[in-house]
Amino acid sequence: MIRREANGVERSKPYPQLIASGIASSSLYLLLYLYEREILSAFTRTDSWYPALPVVAAFVFSFAHGVFTACFWEVLGVKGRKK
Amino acid sequence: MEHAAIEFIDLQYGDVLALLAIGFVGGLVSGFIGSGGAFVLTPAMMSMGVPGVVAVASNLCHKFPKALVGAYQRNKFGHVDVKLGLVMAASAAIGVWLGADIQHQIKENFGEPGSNLYVSLAFVVVLTIVGGFVLHDAVTVYRSGKSDEQERVSRLARWVQSVEIPGTMMHFRTANVRVSVLFTLPLGFATGLLASIIAVGGFIGVPGMMYVLGAPGLIATATELVIAFVMGFGGTIKYALHGLVDIRLALILLAGSLFGIQLGVIGTTYVKPFMIKVVMAAIMLIVAVSRGLVVPVYLTELGRLDLAPRTMAWLHTASFAFLVLALCTGGIIILASMLRGHRAGAMPLK
Repeated sequence: MIRREANGVERSKPYPQLIASGIASSSLYLLLYLYEREILSAFTRTDSWYPALPVVAAFVFSFAHGVFTACFWEVLGVKGRKK
Repeated sequence: MEHAAIEFIDLQYGDVLALLAIGFVGGLVSGFIGSGGAFVLTPAMMSMGVPGVVAVASNLCHKFPKALVGAYQRNKFGHVDVKLGLVMAASAAIGVWLGADIQHQIKENFGEPGSNLYVSLAFVVVLTIVGGFVLHDAVTVYRSGKSDEQERVSRLARWVQSVEIPGTMMHFRTANVRVSVLFTLPLGFATGLLASIIAVGGFIGVPGMMYVLGAPGLIATATELVIAFVMGFGGTIKYALHGLVDIRLALILLAGSLFGIQLGVIGTTYVKPFMIKVVMAAIMLIVAVSRGLVVPVYLTELGRLDLAPRTMAWLHTASFAFLVLALCTGGIIILASMLRGHRAGAMPLK
């Protein structure tokens, strides 16, 4: 689908990115749901490098889900106005 | 393998939906004013049965990636002064450290009720003064009929910018401010101190950047996201080292808040600058009322007042209701302002 921007430029909506990031994000959340106990057990260990797991997971989820949410609003046509 | 002796709750579907909803509104407010949400998220998780320390740890773990996404998006609109954010964050870290130490001392000497009373009084005093000032400024701008114009730099900020201390001057390009680092240090320190006491340092950091340094509201709120990222990141590592982060809570909150923060960021491009102050003041003043309601409860627990248990329970409920009201009020004002901006003919929907 093509949309026309305020400056007259026509751009297609980011459906491929929305679908790809949506699959990535929902897969990550599905894994969290399916392996809830195992993940919680590993992520609360305090030995070795285990304390890094919550930080790494937060970055990974925020990347996948962040791209998805950005595409989501863009596909809906809700975009910021450049001044 | 070493586990912390902490009970992690069994999450019910209702809890997940509540976390998603609160995360969304918290994200919306954060994207718009740079902070907010933490004051509701922690008590909300505690009301689900999450231990306080796990609620704080999980909140921080969702806060830093949220702030990162928000700062990245707002940087696209040229709102973020990364240098100012990092300079403020450096001194904020010292404030957090000292604030935690003060909290510890008060808890040692006066117990849990004394600590709660200290936190609530800090909320009431700081938020009433700063929130009242921000609201007064927003009303003044609105009444002047110049709400469309660029914000005027306060008299205090003009003085701060005029002070030349050789060897300490820094230029913050995006904020278009040149000040001595001797002014940013105490400001960052106060931000960190407040963050360690009430978990929302932005209630000092944003007004401080606006009224003391002279940064525009849009820049101050976006730059606060850099500070929130640094403090949230450091806090998460600290709690993760003790195995206190419930990653499920953090990631569920993140799922809702990333939808919200993107919308909040978009909202900043449609509203008049003074609306940021209106949202901030409204939230701060309602939260001040919320915390003021529980002060008699803690005074009773310290033996200074004599309230019936039923009255204390009612005050606790009313206090939480006001916290939710603060967040919802912020969210409603933001969405209404965005719709008004859209109707004014700017939103490219097609």
